[in-house]
Amino acid sequence: MNDEKNQDSKLKDDQSAAVLATATFVVFFAVYWFLQIQSVRELLELARG
Amino acid sequence: MPTSILGPYTRTIIVGAVIATTLIFAFTNARVEVWFDIQPLFEWMETTWFGVIGKTWGAAFAFVEAIHLLGLAMLGGSVLVGEGRVLGLIFTDIPARTIIDRTHRVFVWALITLLATGIFMACGVAMKIYYLPVYWYKMLALAAGILFHFFIRKPLLVRDLEAINPWLLKAVAISSVMVWFTVAATGRWIGFSG
Repeated sequence: MNDEKNQDSKLKDDQSAAVLATATFVVFFAVYWFLQIQSVRELLELARG
Repeated sequence: MPTSILGPYTRTIIVGAVIATTLIFAFTNARVEVWFDIQPLFEWMETTWFGVIGKTWGAAFAFVEAIHLLGLAMLGGSVLVGEGRVLGLIFTDIPARTIIDRTHRVFVWALITLLATGIFMACGVAMKIYYLPVYWYKMLALAAGILFHFFIRKPLLVRDLEAINPWLLKAVAISSVMVWFTVAATGRWIGFSG
């Protein structure tokens, strides 16, 4: 019973940690690649004159 | 019942602390100070045997780079197959546990190959990469990918997938693909820079 409770608690901890990490990655990935693509677009516009 | 001094949410607290520390480091002067402080390390790297061989013997650099790219292909393959199975897109006729365990073994060997060859290559072009912002983004993505794989993904997927929230499983698989895509893309970018 106690062991089952510990397992459940560990699963909750692992899942919460994963939520935190994946949310950070998704936000960072979206912002980073958006800025990179935006920068390339601006350079292309400058090159075209 | 508390599992450690930090209580039942030890892993979550550690992840939060790592993210907070990284953000503080990135948005304060500490990042620039550390960047200045480690310049002698990069200058020294160019003077090592690896650096001298990498700079003066193009064929050796090209040979090691080929192994580096093969390691990257292995790592990318293991990530795509492993996460593809977690997402339920491929190899659905094979148990997820089998795929996850086997791709993890390939992943570890590929990572060792990448790190070993990467250090050699970094010595050959140390001062070039020191001044490249994209190199530091690659290191950030690499560190995040390694920490994510061994301290988030692996402990989570050690249990039956049915026990885990299906949306979280998808998020973990997609995040893993994203972070390793960033490592590969920024790595290739270094080759086109300078």
